[in-house]
Amino acid sequence: MIAIIMLAVVLIAGIVAIIDSIPLSVQKVYGYSRFLTGVTPRGDMSYFPTILRHFEKSPVPIERRIICRTSIFNVNTIVGPWPFVLHGINPNDFDYLSNKLRLGRLDGRQPISGRGEAVITKPIAKNLRLHLGSIMLSPHDEKNYSLTPVVVVGIYDSDQWFAYTSYEYLVQTHFPPVDVAIYFAKDQQTQRRLDAWADKTLAGTKANVYTYPKVERDTAESLAVLFRILDLVVGLLVVVITIMMCMLVNIYLSQRIVEFGLLQAIGISRKRLVTRTVAEAAWMILTGWIVGSAVTAAVLTLIRNVLMNPKGYYIDPLDPLAYVYTIPVPAAVLITSIAIVLIKFAKFDPIAVIERRIV
Amino acid sequence: MIRTETASLTYWDHGRAIKACDQISLAIRKDEFVGILGPSGSGKSSLLYLLSGLKDPTAGVVFYDEQPYAQRPPDERAAIRLNAFGFVFQQPFLIGFLTALENVMCANGSRHEHRARKLLESLGLQDKMNRLPSDLSGGEKQRVCIARALLHEPKVVFADEPTASLDHETGTQVVEMLVRNRNGALVMVTHDESMLTQADRVLRIHEGRLQESS
Repeated sequence: MIAIIMLAVVLIAGIVAIIDSIPLSVQKVYGYSRFLTGVTPRGDMSYFPTILRHFEKSPVPIERRIICRTSIFNVNTIVGPWPFVLHGINPNDFDYLSNKLRLGRLDGRQPISGRGEAVITKPIAKNLRLHLGSIMLSPHDEKNYSLTPVVVVGIYDSDQWFAYTSYEYLVQTHFPPVDVAIYFAKDQQTQRRLDAWADKTLAGTKANVYTYPKVERDTAESLAVLFRILDLVVGLLVVVITIMMCMLVNIYLSQRIVEFGLLQAIGISRKRLVTRTVAEAAWMILTGWIVGSAVTAAVLTLIRNVLMNPKGYYIDPLDPLAYVYTIPVPAAVLITSIAIVLIKFAKFDPIAVIERRIV
Repeated sequence: MIRTETASLTYWDHGRAIKACDQISLAIRKDEFVGILGPSGSGKSSLLYLLSGLKDPTAGVVFYDEQPYAQRPPDERAAIRLNAFGFVFQQPFLIGFLTALENVMCANGSRHEHRARKLLESLGLQDKMNRLPSDLSGGEKQRVCIARALLHEPKVVFADEPTASLDHETGTQVVEMLVRNRNGALVMVTHDESMLTQADRVLRIHEGRLQESS
């Protein structure tokens, strides 16, 4: 009984933790966007000055504005390649950006303006197996294309995912020629206010606003169906496991029928026997859940360390959602066990045991 | 202490009434050894169930301490069986995953451990206290059951054919142990008259009716 509950917990928590690693990866990979509010024109490049004027009237204080270009390359995830932004930054913004995004110590150097050179952070290096001198983008690489090869010249020792080259390089080699305005606020709280204000003010205009809350919202929306399917799968698992456990509890009680008959005959009250049996079942179920949770955490830690981390993938062995999803198993089993115990004892005649009529 | 007034117990078998006990009136006095003797199917076990409150009569009344069992709530009746009565059944029912010592204490708790050890010693099981029932012989199991029945020094011990599954010599020893170790009344059901040589009174039962007493 303990083993079945344990296995069910491992199975459910494992599935949920792996699926929940997708939004976790989104939060980690695109986590840099919580430090900024990005805006580009859409459909009409001449709208860019209007965007800048909008922000000049922002009621939320802006610490700094950076004008950059962007290009896309791919990073690897457990659900396949994901697009990631290669920012084209002006050299005079390098230091501000690295401080603001807490990029830490730089191993190597900054890209020289106009050259095919890029600086990345450690998770990207790990994910794409890049090191100093590696070619990150190339005219021969279908997934990570650039007109000329882009070489990694610097790697930040940071957990943040971020990559940039020089603004000049992207101007020369990448299409379309659209500038992106990135606005920074002094702290996270002010940044969220700026996000909200930009979202509201530029809604319905020829501007695209990129904010961290939007990333989170889009992720939640895109994974909503997957989580509905997960609900269904977990629901079915709970039903199957509960039926199985009902049968086991029934067998378990039948095996102990002599004990119950004897104890009731010699004076243990039915109430005390029921309480004792339910307490035993609850103890077994709780033990199964605790052991199952511990095994899940251990297995997921192993998966994270052996399979995920080396590739820069994310999974949280202590993901609360994974363990919350397992609660219906012990709850359903406990409820049905109590029901079975009550039904069994309601009709139970100890004399039948003593006279060996039912054993 | 225990008294019946025209107590009857009728079973229904496929629509046919079977009178296991038929208008039985008797009294069990404090500290006496009462034997109930009768052939198989005569109703002697049913009478023991009535006397111990394990079953209610279908007619008549059974009293314990001058109050009918029927007037007592189930928990109180269970408490009487637990605290005032001891039971030894025909089969030596023991809990398989408990040792002999733990089986003796299974109902009344470990507060009686010292007495449980003493009882097992007096019943010749000093070396087998920590054995599981599967490692005990039939006679040894029955002795463990006797220790369990006597542990809390009950006012009445009910023994339902305690020697039925034992050979004659072992059976005689078991009865001797019951008689020697009891502190209250002993009501013993048997079909073997030789087991009742020490009884203060022997009640004979046939087809549910008390025939005579001697």
